[in-house]
Amino acid sequence: MMNRREALQLLATAAALQLAPRKMLAAVREARAVLGDSPALRTLNAHQYATVKEMAEMILPRTETPGAADVGASEFIDLILTEWSDEPERTRFMGGLNEVDGRTRAMCGKDFIECSAEQRAELMRDLGLKMVEETDPAQDWQEADSQSGTENHETFYPMLRRLTLTAYYTSEAGATQALHYEIIPERHDPCVQIQGAKVERQ
Amino acid sequence: MTEGTTYDAIVIGSGMTGGWAAKELTEKGLRTLVLEAGRPIVPEEDYVEHVPAWEVRFRGMGDRRRLREDQPIQSTCYACDEWSSKFFVSDKEHPYTTETGKPFRWIRGRQVGGRSIMWGRQSYRWSDLDFEANLRDGIAIDWPIRYADIAPWYDYVEEFVGISGEALGLPQLPDSRFLPPMELNCAEQHVRSAIAKHFAGERVMTIGRCAILTKDHNGRAACHYCGPCERGCITRSYFSAVNATLPAAQKTGRMTLRPYSVVHSLSFDAKTRKATGVRVIDAKTRAALEFHGKVIFLCASALESVRILFNSATPEFSSGLANSSGELGHNLMDHVKSGGASATIPGMEDRVALGRRPNGIYVPRFRNVKSKQSEFLRGYGFQGEGSRDGWERGISETGFGPDFKRAMSRPGPWRFQFWGYGECLPNHANFVELDPQKVDAWGIPVLKIHCAWSENELALRKDMAIAAAEMLAAAGARDIQPYANEEPPGFAIHEMGTARMGKDAKTSVLNSYNQAHDVKNLFITDGGAMASSSCVNPSLTYMALTARACDYAVGQMKKGEI
Repeated sequence: MMNRREALQLLATAAALQLAPRKMLAAVREARAVLGDSPALRTLNAHQYATVKEMAEMILPRTETPGAADVGASEFIDLILTEWSDEPERTRFMGGLNEVDGRTRAMCGKDFIECSAEQRAELMRDLGLKMVEETDPAQDWQEADSQSGTENHETFYPMLRRLTLTAYYTSEAGATQALHYEIIPERHDPCVQIQGAKVERQ
Repeated sequence: MTEGTTYDAIVIGSGMTGGWAAKELTEKGLRTLVLEAGRPIVPEEDYVEHVPAWEVRFRGMGDRRRLREDQPIQSTCYACDEWSSKFFVSDKEHPYTTETGKPFRWIRGRQVGGRSIMWGRQSYRWSDLDFEANLRDGIAIDWPIRYADIAPWYDYVEEFVGISGEALGLPQLPDSRFLPPMELNCAEQHVRSAIAKHFAGERVMTIGRCAILTKDHNGRAACHYCGPCERGCITRSYFSAVNATLPAAQKTGRMTLRPYSVVHSLSFDAKTRKATGVRVIDAKTRAALEFHGKVIFLCASALESVRILFNSATPEFSSGLANSSGELGHNLMDHVKSGGASATIPGMEDRVALGRRPNGIYVPRFRNVKSKQSEFLRGYGFQGEGSRDGWERGISETGFGPDFKRAMSRPGPWRFQFWGYGECLPNHANFVELDPQKVDAWGIPVLKIHCAWSENELALRKDMAIAAAEMLAAAGARDIQPYANEEPPGFAIHEMGTARMGKDAKTSVLNSYNQAHDVKNLFITDGGAMASSSCVNPSLTYMALTARACDYAVGQMKKGEI
């Protein structure tokens, strides 16, 4: 087991690149585990990060399967804001995020993360209603930009939802435990009965 | 490999048709040099189909800033994603220009195997409905061949490739020599029955015919249904040059494969009337080299092969080598798409399809087959698929919490989509030329493309939306959304026609064996050769024409004619 100093060194240097991909992945995971719950944030500040983390976990909480916080959804959102989003998108996201506390203060006199569970849920319902009002019915989720295509005008809350769901369902835990995703299914069963909570092969 | 050697044959391009030329020529005893502009591909390192989303940085959303900077055109193609963008060219290094107001999307791959690595794998025979079309309609020129000329060559290539599909006995879509078909899922079975009931005698739905193995075949393994073929296939289950033809050529011991060899032009001997050499720029060292061969096969793609011939102009062929007809670069076609419909299919929510079948459904052409339409010439076929909606539907929903999460972790409603591929008419006014203002990263003049849809293609696209919606309505679908969207030519990635074959040297570039009328030891067997476009995917026909041309070329060499 590496110590904290070794872990930081591994993540900061190119040493990992000399390892085979599988080993590198394992080493990087171990390094992150050693460093624990203190991600090196690059766009979100600590308070914004805590707010995003709480909202993401409210959308996809830990149940019988891991939740958004377990798979690092808010760290992924920080990565996307830093390395993927363009300036207008980041501005829209940060603007909407910063309004969240303003709304809860008006509602209950506190920042979002300090509100009660019921107050936070009420805020989330409000954001959902606003999202529906803003939605252009001609543009459904299938057409939304995922790579480099058309201009994307999503506001904070749908962006948060898109990134939270993506982070969760493309994570190893989300894909394999929630969706029962198999990398190599080996066969194609074209029309199988679902049994109980899990999809069973016949 | 030395510059001094004279090879029996030089093949330019190592993709869909170059791989076939390499295999056929070496197996017939020719020492063959294969020139590939791009890098080598090592399947064990380059194939990434089993790398899950959680092991890529942006979880499949792509490195968008890099894509926008370096591959703004290529990344409009679904396959140019976070895994496979490395199989597509850099738009910065490989520019082309278009006429103002006439956009064209040119999607390209430069590596050993070319675009056969990330092609769509759909494989259909053409029929005499296609080969007689120009004659029947009085458009462009008649094909110099008929189905009977190519049928044995379809048999031949299919035996090697392995095409899975269902025999239907339709005259407009002849059956291949099939491996067992893949299976239709629940929604597809439902829609197929509805079409059989409501459109009997006119329309039929079948499983896509595809170059993916459903059982072990010629040393390659059956598909394991992991899904994303465009990322490679370590079990070689889908056909590509890297997976099948190039290894066969390698096995003969007579192939020399040279990657990083950007072909600039051909040299021509006006006395012997032959192409004598191939001028190459080494992509890594920038050294200018020349290789010599007795026969030259241009398999670089419809547009790249023509570009090489334009850059090979001589005093005699001042508008491009082998262009006495003036047709070189003209009659550029693609398939018109972006017309169809999608809908949800109610019910069957207790059923799913397991495994990711890398293939969809097909509805063979039904317009202008038995009866004649007045609105347009020719027709289109539908590809499509049934599938259950995934977790993405939850983005635009307002729910959150444990119940929302459980619901999104389960499959959503069945969705069904049809998307058409329509025939494009040959048109002299759709053409490419060299752009005198611009060169690529190797200093080679680039193409300027002049291409636009005609009224006929636009009418086909409109009809796709109507016909697709009709079938979904017949199947009791809900929320039917027909669409006929604007989309520039090029994006079907079926560009063809720029060096068409024909009976008359005055109106065509190639004869009926893909041999240049003007230069007897020069063959073009990529999409350039096509005199019309059919509405079905063209790769299988390119392969059959290539094998046929190789057989002819070797015969002519033996007779001393070349």
